[in-house]
Amino acid sequence: MTNSIAELEGADVLLVTGSNTTETHPQIGRNIITAVDHRAKLIVIDPRRTDIAKEAHIHLALRPGTDIALINAMMRIILDENLADDLFISMRTENFIALRDYLHRLDLNELATITGINRDTIHEAACLYARSSKSVICYCLGVTQHTCGTDNVQAVANLAMLTGNVEKKHSGVDPLRGQNNVQGACDMAALPAVLPGYQNLADIDVQERFQTVWGRKTPQIPGKSLTEMTHAGEDGDIKAMFIMGENPVLSDPHLNRVENTLKHLPFLAVSDIFLTETARLAHVVFPAASFAEKNGTITNSERRVQLCPRAIPPIHNCRPDSKIIMELGRRLNCPGMNFDTEAEIMEEISLLTPIYGGMHYDRLAKNWGLQWPCWNRDHPGTEFLHKYYFARGKGCFTITKHQEPYETPEEKYPFTLVTGRGSYHHYHTATMTRKSRRLVREYPEALLEVNKEDSDKLKLRDGETVELASRRGTVHIKTTITDRVQPGTVFSSFHFFEVPINQLTIDAMDPKSKCPEFKVCSVNLRKVKHD
Amino acid sequence: MIDLKEMILSKDNLIPLLRKLKKDARLIAPVQNKYGDTLFREIDDIDGTEIDLHNQPQASLKPFFLPQQETLADYTITNGEYSFTPPAKAEDTIFFGVRSCDLTALLYMDLIFSKPSKDPTYYDRRNHSLIITLGCNQPFPNCFCEATGSGPYLEYGYGLQFIDLGDRYFVSAGRGKGADLLKKWAYFFREVNEEDQQKRYQLFLEARGQFTRNIQVAHACRKLEKETVPEEIWEKLSRRCYDCGGCAYVCPTCTCFSIDDMILDAKHGLRIRTWDACTSSGFTRMAGGHNPTDRSRHALKRRFLHKLKYDFERHGKASCTGCGRCIDICFGGVDITTFIDLLTTQTQKKP
Repeated sequence: MTNSIAELEGADVLLVTGSNTTETHPQIGRNIITAVDHRAKLIVIDPRRTDIAKEAHIHLALRPGTDIALINAMMRIILDENLADDLFISMRTENFIALRDYLHRLDLNELATITGINRDTIHEAACLYARSSKSVICYCLGVTQHTCGTDNVQAVANLAMLTGNVEKKHSGVDPLRGQNNVQGACDMAALPAVLPGYQNLADIDVQERFQTVWGRKTPQIPGKSLTEMTHAGEDGDIKAMFIMGENPVLSDPHLNRVENTLKHLPFLAVSDIFLTETARLAHVVFPAASFAEKNGTITNSERRVQLCPRAIPPIHNCRPDSKIIMELGRRLNCPGMNFDTEAEIMEEISLLTPIYGGMHYDRLAKNWGLQWPCWNRDHPGTEFLHKYYFARGKGCFTITKHQEPYETPEEKYPFTLVTGRGSYHHYHTATMTRKSRRLVREYPEALLEVNKEDSDKLKLRDGETVELASRRGTVHIKTTITDRVQPGTVFSSFHFFEVPINQLTIDAMDPKSKCPEFKVCSVNLRKVKHD
Repeated sequence: MIDLKEMILSKDNLIPLLRKLKKDARLIAPVQNKYGDTLFREIDDIDGTEIDLHNQPQASLKPFFLPQQETLADYTITNGEYSFTPPAKAEDTIFFGVRSCDLTALLYMDLIFSKPSKDPTYYDRRNHSLIITLGCNQPFPNCFCEATGSGPYLEYGYGLQFIDLGDRYFVSAGRGKGADLLKKWAYFFREVNEEDQQKRYQLFLEARGQFTRNIQVAHACRKLEKETVPEEIWEKLSRRCYDCGGCAYVCPTCTCFSIDDMILDAKHGLRIRTWDACTSSGFTRMAGGHNPTDRSRHALKRRFLHKLKYDFERHGKASCTGCGRCIDICFGGVDITTFIDLLTTQTQKKP
């Protein structure tokens, strides 16, 4: 997030795109709702009529995978209405002319047809967003999990820069991070091409600094992305894998391939708090300590590094992940793997990661942590990003063009399947939430959302089990008839191992981010004949 | 003979008094932990622990009398026969620094757990407890106990009630154990004089004037007696209820629970009671899937009508104590005050 979470309450216009915020980020949802109660306007872009879409003043229910067309149309309208922030564009950005010329060549009627939204509604939303100087964009995986995910994000950035809605309080671009510490994991370089703090792998100075502390050379070439690793196939070049707190056997697309890859690995080790479906395939399983049994920090969406102190000692022989890694490192003769405390680990992080430069445990203990960048001990942390300059200097407009999803509906597979988190009660592959009886009681099984029009055509009853098939696999799933999805679109979560919906999803991915297109694939649904 | 119902305790004597009380019972009081959260907890070291009487405790007394999860019995099977071990008996416990709303809530729970017969574990704890309240001279930002008739000071129900008069406490004793304590430790106290009475009355009036929220609880109860709530209100509220149960868990008067048998192995198991919430759809769902309270419409209806209509009919008093805890916990901003506001302002406009 370029903003802080609390800033959302002070925004005048909130554009929420590809996020079912109230269910997946209820705390942030609360801020948005408070803003609405304080008379802010809410625009929601989502193919589904989610709870937050019902709160919206304008709900743009686009056809899945047409975000770029929609945002390009909004930008074109902003230019036509003379609502662009010319001063911001000239002072803080570059390459605007190229974008402007491109937008001027677009036909608004054609864009409206692509998105399936009325042109007047797009016009209204564009003007609403552009007229306010406190406009915020929140986006989530509905934007990124597409083959054009990177371009979707670029389009969102273009829109914000075009109207000058960055660099100040209550306005910015806010990706909502989907897991409690995924921001921290990225900050610590659980990514293939960077070192901690998003430092360039190829930078000689960076390499030298790490080499001095770590005592050995850092990798010179980027590693592989998750999907590349889990989809390598039975004779991929990866010989051993160590998976921590992840359950790719349920969470990655095109599951048959994932399972095939993992089953043929010469060595697989998994560390997790429960024996997950992935852990069952492992040669070695490390029982890890849960968040309550270890000390550490969690970095949230607003870049806030928060201390999470241990509440209870580890149960039985569980060990914190840091201990597991250190023990492994020691056996692999890796120097420096002898941290006594978590605070000592943080000291090394501060030393090597400039944006974490002032994040010491004693400071984090006060005031609910600190927001990066926090360059040194005296730095108070950063409330919102891009004040005075962007990380790269000037903000660069990049033309983004609409592209159809990898799979579009056709005769044999006439429906579009959208996947995501299905309820408030379960989290991802439910390895934790299904251990709670209460949560299981509240949301006991997988459901496929089907529009009434479609269920009438297929003569489906509410709650009837159907066969859902894509080119890659077939599952049986119970339906729920609802107006949350549009006709021709169905939605399901991926929480339940009994209904591994990711057997159906596609492993086509964004060429830059390598993020698979979880949000769109073509499926067919068929009544199940009972004998 | 001095009047033992009302006495003055110098603040210097507070710790000495508590020290004596602690000899015969567990002492539980609000303490601020190092993360800034004020919670009731047992005081082991009275000199090394600072009792926090400035902040509202985040949780009410509910967990001490109806724990979030408690074992009602553990069972063992031997030769096909079940034998049960009941839970441990409660210890004598003194609660200090309890706010008026939380004691009112406890009195309501006494009622709930007395019918049709007294709940054994609840009443075991209750009978071993003595509550010392602290009247609120400065209501907290979300409080509206004045509107629910459960504060800022109380008339009855307490063991002892403390009112802060600056350098001293004005202490009133309730019936039974409270009066006995006052008698037993009389040498810590002095008699009440005219000035003390005046000051107490003055502070009471000031406290009543300091509520920042004006919640029309009585008005809402009377309206609910006569009228049905417009469907739009339920519609608006239920759209924003995400069924997290947070309101029920922090509510000092929400007493819904479920009982589960937890099988430990082939021969052992526990019968446990855990908090539940009427807003959870699984709470009312029957075998076969039928649900009399459909999540999308009725979850909040059940909760709010119970507090403001059914309890008002049954007991003559709403079972909301105005503690304000549900206001901050709600993700959707649809706590009971939202409902009361919608009800009392919207329906007023209609002819």
